[in-house]
Amino acid sequence: MAATSVGRVLTLCRQFQNAFRISTSLAVQQSALTLTKSQSYLDRLTYPLLSSNWHCHVGQCRPLHTTISRRGLEEFFDIPENWGEATVKSGAPWTAKQLRTKSNEDLHKLWYVLLKEKNMLLTIEQESKRQRIQMPSPERLKKIERSMKRLDTVVKEREDALRLLQTGQERARPGAWRKDIFGRVYWYRFREHALPWYMNKRYKRKRFYTPLFVTPHIRLRLEKHLRAKTRIQNKEREKQTVLQEKFPQMKAQSS
Amino acid sequence: MARRLIYPLYQIGNPQLRIFRPPFSLTLVRPGKEQPQDTVQFRISMEMTKCDVRNYLEKIYNVPVGAVRTRIQYCTNKKRNHLNQKVKRPDYKVAYVQLVQQQTFEFPDIFTEKDVKSAEGSVEEMQEKFMEDEKQRQKPDLRRGGVTEWFGL
Repeated sequence: MAATSVGRVLTLCRQFQNAFRISTSLAVQQSALTLTKSQSYLDRLTYPLLSSNWHCHVGQCRPLHTTISRRGLEEFFDIPENWGEATVKSGAPWTAKQLRTKSNEDLHKLWYVLLKEKNMLLTIEQESKRQRIQMPSPERLKKIERSMKRLDTVVKEREDALRLLQTGQERARPGAWRKDIFGRVYWYRFREHALPWYMNKRYKRKRFYTPLFVTPHIRLRLEKHLRAKTRIQNKEREKQTVLQEKFPQMKAQSS
Repeated sequence: MARRLIYPLYQIGNPQLRIFRPPFSLTLVRPGKEQPQDTVQFRISMEMTKCDVRNYLEKIYNVPVGAVRTRIQYCTNKKRNHLNQKVKRPDYKVAYVQLVQQQTFEFPDIFTEKDVKSAEGSVEEMQEKFMEDEKQRQKPDLRRGGVTEWFGL
C-alpha cells in the first residue's frame, strides 16, 4: 500500500524530487540515506540488511535499492482508501526540464513507476466502463502519457548526443535518399534482412527509380503545387489590403 | 523505447533480445465468462507474446506465473458513423494468466459507494434528512399492491 503511495507521490508531485537525487549526490552513503528517508515508512525491516552495504568500498559497489513490493497483482489497483471516491488528487506531470536534471538510472526507475501507474489507471478505466460508472480523475492518464513521452524525448536526446560524440552519426537507423516511382524523393530507412537485396524478391518489386512515362506528370504536379502556393499568397495579400482599407490605423502584419 | 521500433532480426544463435523501458501496458480486466480461481485476465498489446507477458509480470510485478494463454479478439468493422462510413473498433489481445502454487485471485469491487456519515448538527446532515423525508413521501402506498395512483380514489 505504502509502495504505491510512494510511487504515486514520486511520479506526480514535484516536491518529492528529493527522493530522486540519489545518484546526483557525490557520496554513495548520502545517496543511500536519502533513499531511506523517502521510503523509511515503507519497510523498517529491510533497512538493517542494507546498512551492512554502506560500509563497502565506495568506488566498487553501489547499494542499488529497488522498491520491495510485497503486493503483486494488487498494484494493478489503487490503494483501498481511494476505492469509491469521485476524484483522486494527483500532482502535475513531469516536464522535460525536470527530467533532464535526473540521471539515467533515475529515469529508468521512473519509467517503470510511470508504467505501473499507467497499468493501474487503464485497469480502473476498463472496470469503470464495465460497471458503467465514471472513472475517478481520468486526467491522470493524460498526465502519465505526457510524462512518459517527455521521458522518452530526454532519453533520445541523450542517446543522440552520445552517438554524435562517439561516432559522428546523426541518425541511429541507417538510411538513404531515394526516389520512388512517382518521382518524389524521400528518406528510405534501411531494415535488417536475412538475404542480400538481389535475392529478395519482394524488395526487387519495389522500384526505386522513376519510369520515363511518369516525367510529364512530375512537371504537372509541380505546376499544381506552385499554383496552390501562389493562390494562398495572393489571398493573404488581398486580405491585408482589404483590412488596411477598413482599418487605416492598423499596423501591417508581418508574414 | 519509442514507438515505430523495428527490432533486430533474430536468427538461430543470436543473443536474447532485451528491451529496456518497455512501452507496453497491461490492463487487468474482469472476466466476461466465469474463469477458474487462479486465472487472471489481461488485455495486452497485439505485439506481445506469452513469453513477454510472463517476463513482464515476473520482472516488473514480482508475480510468479504458471501458464499463459493468449487469443486475439476481433472487434467489429460493421458499425457506421453519421457519415455512413465504416468505423472499426480496434482489436485487442487477451492473455489468460494462471498463477502458480494454487494461489487465487478474485477481481475486487472497486466502485463500492462508501457510507459517509456527516457531522451531527451540520448543514449536510439536515439536507440528507430532508432528502430522505422527501423520498419517503414520494413512495406509493404499499397497500395498493403496485397499482398506480393516478386514477381511482
